[in-house]
Amino acid sequence: MRSRRGVDTFTCLVRKEWRELMASRSWWVMLLLIGPLVGVSFISAVRTYGELSGVNGTAAGVGEAFSPLIGIWAPTFSACELAAAFLLPFVAIRLVAGDRLSGALLLELQQPFPAFARVLAKATVLMGGWLIASAAPMLGVLLWWIYGGSIHVPELLTVLTGHVLNAGLAMALAAAAATITEHPSTAAIVTLTVTVGGWIINFAAAVNGGIWERLAHYTPTAMVGEFQHGLVRLEIVLVASALTCAGLGLAAIWTRLGQTSSRRAIESAVLLASTTIVIVACTFVRPSWDTSEARLNSFALVDQRRLESLDVPLRLEAHLAPEDPRRADLERNAISKLRRTVRDFDIRYVSETTTGLFEQTREQYGQIHYQLGSRTGVSRATTVEGVLNEIYTLAEIAPDRDGYEEDVFRGRPLAATPRGAAPLFYMGWPALVAVVALIARGRSA
Amino acid sequence: MIAGSPQVILRVSHLTKTYRGIGAVRAASFSVWPGEVLGLIGPNGSGKTTLFGCLGGVLPYDTGRVETFTAAGTPAIFYLPDAITPWPEQTVEWSLTFARRYFRASNEMTPEWLERLGLQNILRKRIRNLSKGQRKRALLAIGLITPHPILLLDEPFDGLDLRQTREVAQLLRSVAAGGRTLFLSIHQISEADRVCDRFVLLSEGRVCGEGTLEELAARVVHTPRGQTQTLEDVFLALT
Repeated sequence: MRSRRGVDTFTCLVRKEWRELMASRSWWVMLLLIGPLVGVSFISAVRTYGELSGVNGTAAGVGEAFSPLIGIWAPTFSACELAAAFLLPFVAIRLVAGDRLSGALLLELQQPFPAFARVLAKATVLMGGWLIASAAPMLGVLLWWIYGGSIHVPELLTVLTGHVLNAGLAMALAAAAATITEHPSTAAIVTLTVTVGGWIINFAAAVNGGIWERLAHYTPTAMVGEFQHGLVRLEIVLVASALTCAGLGLAAIWTRLGQTSSRRAIESAVLLASTTIVIVACTFVRPSWDTSEARLNSFALVDQRRLESLDVPLRLEAHLAPEDPRRADLERNAISKLRRTVRDFDIRYVSETTTGLFEQTREQYGQIHYQLGSRTGVSRATTVEGVLNEIYTLAEIAPDRDGYEEDVFRGRPLAATPRGAAPLFYMGWPALVAVVALIARGRSA
Repeated sequence: MIAGSPQVILRVSHLTKTYRGIGAVRAASFSVWPGEVLGLIGPNGSGKTTLFGCLGGVLPYDTGRVETFTAAGTPAIFYLPDAITPWPEQTVEWSLTFARRYFRASNEMTPEWLERLGLQNILRKRIRNLSKGQRKRALLAIGLITPHPILLLDEPFDGLDLRQTREVAQLLRSVAAGGRTLFLSIHQISEADRVCDRFVLLSEGRVCGEGTLEELAARVVHTPRGQTQTLEDVFLALT
């Protein structure tokens, strides 16, 4: 009986929030702008993809350049990242702070109902609004299919999931800011500060490495980047979910106007401490899935099987500075894949400067020291082949080129032009949004 | 006290609320009886809205006790604040429907109530487009539709013209006659005199008196012989 009443109240709130979203100008503006934003990215991506594909397709070895994941989905959906950083927070702040400013919250709070469920109703509607906005990049997917392009559903879903998680984070952050601060303008400043803070962490990671580099893995930009590369790491999904729940939890705590500020502050501190513990625990979670058709985040199957069979710890010590391009190559080409494949793997970067320019004369600089069990070796190669060769030497695995050929991704070239995309994204989408907005807002009046 | 009332429905004991060390409500104690119209009388800044916020559960208080004696498991008090514009983009009609569903009220807004509150012609208007008086009447309708046995109305006559004030006062009397308890915060003493059964006088956060006009008048020591005490006189004498 009680749960039935709870469901009824939740449904009632969701309906109310939906009407409030329909009546909010900020959501319609976001919807209006996301079409042209997607259009610019999609048209540019298809044009580049078509030019690179030529008319005769491609040859083996340049597969990654012709993967729709990298060539089309990542740039097209990047408009969502922009919208999540600069448009969605304002929609969320409007929806959350609006009730408090208008006095509606004073009335609604007098019906006993869990504060988190109250915030969840808003989050549900906001996510619904975000999914509607995601129809713009999905139109790009439809156009790509009409052009005859290939669609590998798992990698497309991965990109979508990344942007949904990112939107969830943006919403939760905005909701927390809107309830904690006195005014929506302050909430907007707080939200943008956190967004810019994420970029500063990325910058600091690139310059300083170390703890910054580790922190940078959890910024929204880095998170979306991994999904756009077709990589689903359970650790990232869990951390993003924990942060989203924490943001909504904070919003729920500060929505309860009947509680003293000191009590709400204590509850917030407890929530943040618990979230930190959960996040630290999440960093030990290892499972990950490479959903890209081109296996961008994995070694060739033959290598993967060999590396998985290693039963001794593999330790690397790379003497490369954070800004040294070789370190980025090594990380992207080999280390990120080794972390996913080798059961007991660790790497330590050693450098005395951030650029490495003045360390070149140091004898060890540029070297990568390998330790596999009790065996050790040194190499300077940062390519996949170089790294694997060193590991195989230490593991005494004989080089064998069998089995590589059938594993190579041949690419999905498509010599197409973005016909029809410009009128659709620049005129059709805004016109449709404007008409629907007029009808919907008129109906709610 | 209403004749035949068995017991209090709301008892407030030593309720104190401070803002950064400044007392907004200071050890306020009083009782509310079922079915009465109680007036909280005090000048601007005397702590009426703060006291109502504390009773409504939307403002924390420092010390004291608020006890309600109603059916267990159901919220007892509904507080309708003054000067709010809830759900500004929605229509009056939708707001009433939402309030009824959300607060699980069995009351329907009857055509008679709509007429007495003068809402028939503004049902399709958005709340943000209403005048001050229209908004006040729409808010009153929301308050009246809720099922809570005790209704706290902050400045229910603010923004209403003379005719509307009289109409609303009559409506509130009829609601109380139906068994609902009304607690009205009013700073215009002449209006309070017209609608309330009993009064709680509040000055600088302190309760200076509680009772009917006669009971309060009896507490005033220097009454000129043969002169009838008005609520204004009593209030000025006691605060």
